Amino acid sequence: MKPLNLTKEIEKNEKTKKEILPIMYSYKERRDKILNEEEKEKFREELRRIKEKAIDGIGELKKRTIRNLEKNGIKVIEAKDSKDANKKIKEIIGKEKLVIKSKSNTINEINLNEALKDKELIETDLGDFIVQIFEGKEIHPVLPSADLTPKEISKKIKEKFGKDVQADPEEIVRFIRGYLREKMYEAKIGITGANVISSDGSIFILENEGNISLTSRIPDKHIILTSFDKIVSSREDALKIVKAGAIFGTGQDYPVYVNIISGPSKTADIQDKLITGAQGAREVYLILLDNKRSKILNSEFKELLYCINCGACLNFCPVYHQIFRRYGSDFPGVKGVIISYFKDSGKNAYKNGAFFCTTCKQCGENCPMKIDLSELIRKLRKQLSDKKIAPDTVIEMVKNVRQYGNPFGKLEEGKVPKKLYCC
Amino acid sequence: MGILNLFGGNTLYYPGCLTKFVAKDLGENYKRILDKIGIDFIVLRDLEVCCGNPVLNAGHEKEARELAKKNFKLFKERGVKKIITSCPACFHMFNKNYPQLIKKWDIKVEHITQTIARAIKKGKINTKKLNTEITYHDPCHLGRYEGIYEEPREIIKKAGNLKEMKLARNYSFCCGGGSGVKSNQPNLADSIAKERVNMAKETNAKVLCTSCPMCYLHLKENSGGLEVKEISQLFEDRKEK
Repeated sequence: MKPLNLTKEIEKNEKTKKEILPIMYSYKERRDKILNEEEKEKFREELRRIKEKAIDGIGELKKRTIRNLEKNGIKVIEAKDSKDANKKIKEIIGKEKLVIKSKSNTINEINLNEALKDKELIETDLGDFIVQIFEGKEIHPVLPSADLTPKEISKKIKEKFGKDVQADPEEIVRFIRGYLREKMYEAKIGITGANVISSDGSIFILENEGNISLTSRIPDKHIILTSFDKIVSSREDALKIVKAGAIFGTGQDYPVYVNIISGPSKTADIQDKLITGAQGAREVYLILLDNKRSKILNSEFKELLYCINCGACLNFCPVYHQIFRRYGSDFPGVKGVIISYFKDSGKNAYKNGAFFCTTCKQCGENCPMKIDLSELIRKLRKQLSDKKIAPDTVIEMVKNVRQYGNPFGKLEEGKVPKKLYCC
Repeated sequence: MGILNLFGGNTLYYPGCLTKFVAKDLGENYKRILDKIGIDFIVLRDLEVCCGNPVLNAGHEKEARELAKKNFKLFKERGVKKIITSCPACFHMFNKNYPQLIKKWDIKVEHITQTIARAIKKGKINTKKLNTEITYHDPCHLGRYEGIYEEPREIIKKAGNLKEMKLARNYSFCCGGGSGVKSNQPNLADSIAKERVNMAKETNAKVLCTSCPMCYLHLKENSGGLEVKEISQLFEDRKEK
């Protein structure tokens, strides 16, 4: 296949690079202040064991989780793919017009925004709210709008809402807070994702802004969309994952809020009669999305299910630094490339960058779960090569190696090969 | 250069394809360095084949295994007991992948920076004095893949003042050339190299030094005026003798 042309993509990202790269460096600096190398390694080992244990025994663990969540009054619904998940969410929403939602990779994955385009769907995460008014695509899992300046945002607010807001981050946040509060009080449906589920029946959602607390508690119905790979055995394990999300995601010691939801709100204050639905949500739904995860679970890519979506793998990824969201699919980077292989096809995985990775292992060094994406991309390339999906340059190199024992081909005395395909 | 020694076992200097066919001067430097240290070594020139790292990274495991078998057979025929290579990718391939690809693999492998750092300590060789600030780029295959961070630094510190980049050692930022990206997506590879070169420039070092022929050639192509050296170039060359 023809190598892909990334020239325009690289040129276009000159500005984005200047905005976003310093933030990524600062995450590492902050992380290094919280954990020294030795502590970091110890923590990573511990996290890896938690996830290995959970994913290896996921069949039984999932059953136990569902049983315990239902005992706590949470309605658990399994969805096989995006279409199914969207259908089930729509059934719960019913005739309601206004829906508020928080930031979630799983919500992005099912493209809920498209499925609910006949509704008024409001993003309550600040970054996502800004991306939404720009009608763009988030650039990084924990940094959705890092490429936009206050000036651009202020201009956009004027355009969309007719309001004059100073090109100052504080003023912008104040305006969005006011706007979102009104929507939150009005909405009957709140949709969020989840970071971890513990098999003893609790759902953990971490955040800094406070929008998830409000989205999950003010509306009557709280819908949580997530996937079975978020399940761990105990609440103790879950809190370690929460901590990892903060430290490896943004270099924060601990998130401002950790929402631990173990059922709809309830009270028995009046004559000891138990009433479900007090001040928080009256109904809590958990939708467990599969979307080929079962297939990944039973493949040589199982490790991918240890991922907690912190985005640390991207922070010093040499390829992501040049082309950002051009690399990957619903999920950025190598993870997105592999997921598109399972969900779409080998050709799509090729287009999304199966041969962009330099296998430098930087991602694995930063990953709290020690997921070796360089090794996974090698496995993917093997499967693609078996299907004859590879750049022409690779095919030529392999031919040279077979025929001449070196990657450059026939070498004339005193001449230097032009194409330096090596290592 | 050594004579075939089937009883005691031979030490092979394996330069790797990129050094053997492209960066030939580096190969000459290293042979001279090994001679100076007093290591009795053999070379197998066109008899040996590619180590298999590029095909393995491209997903062609079968080809990698065939190359490994060919090399192993040849190495055994020549009584090779130890390989010294100056290429980090070949080093990783022999050290970590060959034992998986070939059950009987029993050959010791060393990266040449290990050989040289040891010889410096024993006083057998020394670098030139550059009297300048040098920054070091950790090649992925030598650093993260093999955990060799100290030896190249020990060598560089003999030649000048080492100034670290903001991403170094296990967090070293890739040069962009590896895993076929230099050929598959040349613009992407160049853009990555430029980012790395900028990190080197930020240290105000006068020289960017590395210990991998691919990193060296690729960074040099994208150096924007910064002097790029491969570690063997820190030693006396023939002309200066």
